[in-house]
Amino acid sequence: MPNIKIFSGSSHPDLSQKIADRLGLELGKVVTKKFSNQETCVEIGESVRGEDVYIVQSGCGEINDNLMELLIMINACKIASASRVTAVIPCFPYARQDKKDKSFFDIPVDNLYAEPAVLKWIKENILEWKNCIIVSPDAGGAKRVTSIADRLNVDFALIHKERKKANEVDRMVLVGDVTDRVAILVDDMADTCGTICHAADKLISAGATRVYAILTHGIFSGPAISRINNACFEAVVVTNTIPQEEKMKHCSKIQVIDISMILAEAIRRTHNGESVSYLFSHVPL
Amino acid sequence: MRKARPHPKCRMNVPKSGYRVFSANSSAACTELAKKITERLGVEMGKSVVFQESNRETRVDVKESVRGQTIFIIQTIPRDVNTAIMELLIMAYALKTSCAKNIIGVIPYFPYSKQCKMRKRGSIVCKLLASMLAKSGLTHIITMDLHQKEIQGFFGFPVDNLRASPYLIQYIQEEIPDYRNAIIVAKSPAAAKRAQSYAERLRLGLAVIHGEAQCSESDMADGRHSPPSVRNTTGHTGLELPLMMAKEKPPITVVGDVGGRIAIIVDDIIDDVGDFVAAAEILKERGAYKIYIMATHGLLSADAPRLIEESAIDEVVVTNTVPHEVQKLQCPKIKTVDVSMILAEAIRRIHNGESMAYLFRNITVDD
Repeated sequence: MPNIKIFSGSSHPDLSQKIADRLGLELGKVVTKKFSNQETCVEIGESVRGEDVYIVQSGCGEINDNLMELLIMINACKIASASRVTAVIPCFPYARQDKKDKSFFDIPVDNLYAEPAVLKWIKENILEWKNCIIVSPDAGGAKRVTSIADRLNVDFALIHKERKKANEVDRMVLVGDVTDRVAILVDDMADTCGTICHAADKLISAGATRVYAILTHGIFSGPAISRINNACFEAVVVTNTIPQEEKMKHCSKIQVIDISMILAEAIRRTHNGESVSYLFSHVPL
Repeated sequence: MRKARPHPKCRMNVPKSGYRVFSANSSAACTELAKKITERLGVEMGKSVVFQESNRETRVDVKESVRGQTIFIIQTIPRDVNTAIMELLIMAYALKTSCAKNIIGVIPYFPYSKQCKMRKRGSIVCKLLASMLAKSGLTHIITMDLHQKEIQGFFGFPVDNLRASPYLIQYIQEEIPDYRNAIIVAKSPAAAKRAQSYAERLRLGLAVIHGEAQCSESDMADGRHSPPSVRNTTGHTGLELPLMMAKEKPPITVVGDVGGRIAIIVDDIIDDVGDFVAAAEILKERGAYKIYIMATHGLLSADAPRLIEESAIDEVVVTNTVPHEVQKLQCPKIKTVDVSMILAEAIRRIHNGESMAYLFRNITVDD
């Protein structure tokens, strides 16, 4: 493909390499370092004049440092006369403080979905998927969960917090029947994992045979890993929007779905001016 | 004319149209300067909570109403530069969306000010930062001893560049016995202008250090090498453009006589101390019997304290624009000058719409 360059920030070089491999390209040469006073320094190592540039940087780890690095890289490419600069941000930082709504941006935003990859994983890895039940750990995720349940043609359930009186602690109430079924919890991100661990306990005590958790972004900060190790999950599945190698060493229940092909395909389609909406319901091979 | 008397229970002097001072730093070491400034102003710090969540996202919560008020945000830049910048941006934006009238950033040490020139295929981070600060809602900035004065041009709004030199000069006059036998030294030709302005005000001589290890920074700041450096010129027709001659690097040398004098090196930032240590060596060789370093911003990164302790430098004097308590513990040669008074005075004058000229009365053109 002519006129395209892909650069990687330092947040997730592994994913960037996978994306580049799928596109049959080499990652662009860039040097990112910090001066001794901790200021970020970026130098692009090749010409980007007239090129369509994609910068892959995930909002994970040291978020403010990675964000600054991304901004400086974008700035450097624009000054070096790149024809277009696109930021590929698998896990968008600060997304819980504001909504990552398209209308908040002045520039085009393509929000891709991990759903097709999740469906594929369920069909390939859970034997009794035809008789499973998809569960949302909170009321806000109901739409996400029903979408998956419909495509698999299975039932869904949800857990919601109920507070009877003002000073009482929230009670978790299961809405739906999970007796003798394999329960699959689905959510968009797992940070400290308090909610999903409580949900798993609830499901087991309500009669579920096994509990899986499938989450798009596995942030896993604070006590998350120890909570997962002590909880009754069969497996906790996340995508590789955030690097998981370190965490997998401390927790054998974590499995990873590779979404590099979705991002690679999105880049290819954007570069060629093709529609990206195909990716909202299909996983590229 | 009725004079407003403060309510007996209220310890706060609330000026007529109301201004509040916030600090956007999350760590205690950084809020020290802000506390000193608010004490001098006689106001209470605005109520806010700034912290890092477990996933390293910064969170800022402003706990009081700021509608229609003038707000000053004091932000010190510690080692974690990018987080401090993010804290400032988030707080400014939070205040803007809460209908504050004016938001003035008090950023004594302005970060990324060394990345203000085009370097090969780099980014002019300072300009990027200026755009981000403007977008987040700041309408005015107070800073001190900007590394390059031209940075003021990156902003579309007023930037007050205060000077620490009156304080450092006062330190020299009061704390260095027989300072009249001193000579002001510039550690590289680039610092000569600033050194000259100190020498003028103290009526002392000037010396400049030149040579090895001074050229690396200035080479990089040359901008893009256009046309590209020579690869192969065979068969290339077209303009015969003259090639850039590589700069000669002479051995380190002192221009000026320092024999039998106290040497005072002045600079705006002291960060990596390799250059300073080398300068001290050569000054000692040429006969200086005491060596002081005066710098506004004491970043003192990496193992600067250890290197200073082991070197020929007698004392390093910096202001409290950048927190350096840890470095002081490691190296007793480091001394601090408090500049909270001039920052508090600037805040007061800006709020009251008074002239700032008094704060610049003793400053020369080259400072």
